[in-house]
Amino acid sequence: MSEKRILVVDDEKLILDLYSQVFSGAGYEVTTAESAEEALEIFRKEQFWVLFLDLNLPGMNGVDLCRQIRKQHPMAIPYAVTGYASLFELSDCREAGFEDYFTKPASLSDLLEAAEYAFKKLARWRKR
Amino acid sequence: MNTNMKILIAEDDMTSRAMLQAVLAKWGYDVSAASDGEQAWAALQEPTPPGLAVLDWEMPGLDGAELCRRLRAQERKEPLYLILLTSRGAPEDIVRGLEAGADDYIAKPYDNAELKARVDVGRRMLMLQNEMREREKLQGVLEMAGAVCHELNQPLQIVSGFSEMLLLDADAGDKNSETLKTIKEGIDRIGELTRRIMKITRYQAKPYLKGRIVDIHQASE
Repeated sequence: MSEKRILVVDDEKLILDLYSQVFSGAGYEVTTAESAEEALEIFRKEQFWVLFLDLNLPGMNGVDLCRQIRKQHPMAIPYAVTGYASLFELSDCREAGFEDYFTKPASLSDLLEAAEYAFKKLARWRKR
Repeated sequence: MNTNMKILIAEDDMTSRAMLQAVLAKWGYDVSAASDGEQAWAALQEPTPPGLAVLDWEMPGLDGAELCRRLRAQERKEPLYLILLTSRGAPEDIVRGLEAGADDYIAKPYDNAELKARVDVGRRMLMLQNEMREREKLQGVLEMAGAVCHELNQPLQIVSGFSEMLLLDADAGDKNSETLKTIKEGIDRIGELTRRIMKITRYQAKPYLKGRIVDIHQASE
């Protein structure tokens, strides 16, 4: 877990490119998935502690994906990033286990700050 | 409230027509009159037709019941409330009149209090129908706005994100960095707008050129 790995899920390839470049540039190792199903497939093989999930995905949506991930891995810290805020209530996202919620267009510095915060939190938990 | 509401009267008897016209005008309605069914039909095809019509059943040519039937067969933009006026007061006549498409029925001889009460009911029904239509329209517009914003936010994230990245790499004071900053500010403003549009919950318009447009800032407060 010292390896700072992030899983990013979004159905838009260019957005995955963007997040990959940003997080890689900040020293994280990034894996991407274009759907909830693909993300779960990846998650079955390797665990991720910090995730950025688009909510409006084809097939299973990001809220249900978050529920599944938290069930399998209660310590995971998932963030929601959505372009359609009114479709998903903040309270539903918190209930599903999201740590925080960003609306698109989100500022990269906010996303980087969120990632940094998540890894700090994980490090603190580990020291317990 | 009823000062501007338009009412059409169709009555072939001149005396009854004049009396009806006078009393409805006295109650504040904007009254127009037709002396037969064809004239009434034409008046109800105008661009801004009356919302309520009082139609005499017995008229030469196109009678009141047939007029109701034809009007109901039409696809109309605005709701239309129809009251049939007739000396036929038997229950089966009332049924036939309502089945022809009338909303209400007044048997002659009637007194003015009854006429007023029935016209008032019609006005209330029209107001409710119009309110419902407005609400449905607003709902449709808001759903459309939400969908458009969502679609815009995706590419907006791409443009805003990559320009933020370029900006982080650029040297401060560089000419390109200033240009990039301006671009980023413009994008941020669009982002702020889509955020506001998605928060719109009510109809609030402001004058714009010759027409009106939704006041995004007021309507999303």
